[in-house]
Amino acid sequence: MLQNAGYGKMKKAQLKIQQMAFMLIVVTLFFVLVMMFVLVVKFSGLKNTAMGLEEKNAMLLVSKIANSPEFSCGESFGRNKINCVDWDKLMVLKESIGKYEEFWGVSNIEIKKIYPTENSEIICDKYNYPECGITRIMPKDVQGFDVSNFVTLCRKTMSSDGFYDKCEVARIMASYGGEK
Amino acid sequence: MKKRGFLQIPFAWLFAIIVGAVILFLAVYISMKLIGTEQTTQDAKAGKEIGVLLNPLETGFETGKTTTLNMPVETRIYSRCSNQGIFGEQTIRVSQKNFNKWSETDIDVSFPNKYLFSENFVEGKKFFIFSKPFNFPFKVADLIYITSKNYCFISAPEEVAEEVADLKQENLFLENCPEKSTNVCFLGGAECEINIDYNAGYVSKKTGKVYFNNDALMYAGIFSEDNLYECEAKRLMQRVAQLTLLYNNKAELVSKSGCNSNLGGELSQLNNFAGTFSGTINLNAMNSVVKKLEEKNDVAECRLW
Repeated sequence: MLQNAGYGKMKKAQLKIQQMAFMLIVVTLFFVLVMMFVLVVKFSGLKNTAMGLEEKNAMLLVSKIANSPEFSCGESFGRNKINCVDWDKLMVLKESIGKYEEFWGVSNIEIKKIYPTENSEIICDKYNYPECGITRIMPKDVQGFDVSNFVTLCRKTMSSDGFYDKCEVARIMASYGGEK
Repeated sequence: MKKRGFLQIPFAWLFAIIVGAVILFLAVYISMKLIGTEQTTQDAKAGKEIGVLLNPLETGFETGKTTTLNMPVETRIYSRCSNQGIFGEQTIRVSQKNFNKWSETDIDVSFPNKYLFSENFVEGKKFFIFSKPFNFPFKVADLIYITSKNYCFISAPEEVAEEVADLKQENLFLENCPEKSTNVCFLGGAECEINIDYNAGYVSKKTGKVYFNNDALMYAGIFSEDNLYECEAKRLMQRVAQLTLLYNNKAELVSKSGCNSNLGGELSQLNNFAGTFSGTINLNAMNSVVKKLEEKNDVAECRLW
């Protein structure tokens, strides 16, 4: 009889331990899940912040690039002009772009002639320049978003009266994002 | 008599206390780690944001642009410079004060296309930033100066005084200087932390002497720590070297259509100087070739810049 009572108590105690252990595991799992949720939200936020900063940077950078010494007209075509890109310099830069690959922090820079429209869909290289319209600074294709700004694209041109400055309307685009 | 062990505590309680303590410890430990990670993230984000905010200072042809940067908490901005690679690198590290303690972070935000001049670190909630183009003789970059303390310009030459007044920067004074300002003297004096010899082209401080050949570099010498100044000057020369190659190639391209600039010799000379640049003491030797290039480009049939 006494033995049976002891056995019953032990069983009850074992049950309580099991109950407690089960509760603890559930509580721990609950905390782990909450923490995982917090971390996921946090890191997705971080990714968005990084993307936001990149985008903001690109918006400002596209204006900065057009006016940087490697692109800008300076006083080559008369007085200093803002948002004026020297096409001759651009073609030379394109040839040595390997050095500048990481310099502006963008995936690619493209300058597309929009007016006059003749040859505007032809990609420029050293053989067809200036009978072309798209100057892609870096040779790779890119995907992702891009930001753009209007610029004047100037170069020296020869005519029967000698050299003159020819300026056309173009759009400069800086793209961000993963490479294809 | 039933034996209950030494502590007289039921096993279920003991088990719950131990596991509970472990869970609490883990929760506290992970929370602390997360707070640390968050702080590091904030510092890195602040560094990147500062870099992005500096972009508008680098557009246009203004002789000087100024802006302020307000931070929500006490912040330290550390500027570092490296000459590694083709263009070198500008690094910003931000540390913020939380619970009266400066956050420790080892995350640097790097920019190969920026040239920042400041003390070893600038500290405060409000930072004053201005930029000035550096021409050598073509435009090389916009130099950015970050300050937080007050500077008092004493006996500044007319052009410098005019420029400082035009900037309307709250921490740069020409008269009625507040106490504890750093005195920048152009004619010497007993209470001068920084002395400028405008004609000889050098800035001398307790820590040493650095050289300049135009106003953009003079301000850089005033506002920045000597080693940082020398390193940034070298980075500028690294860019000068690349730009001379670019202009040389442009000269070749336009000469194919018969438009000559006749700057090839001087450009190569400047490229050599820039390639062997070892410190701002070399600037003086480069002045003649820079001047010659400027004069020749001004009268060239096809100007290169």
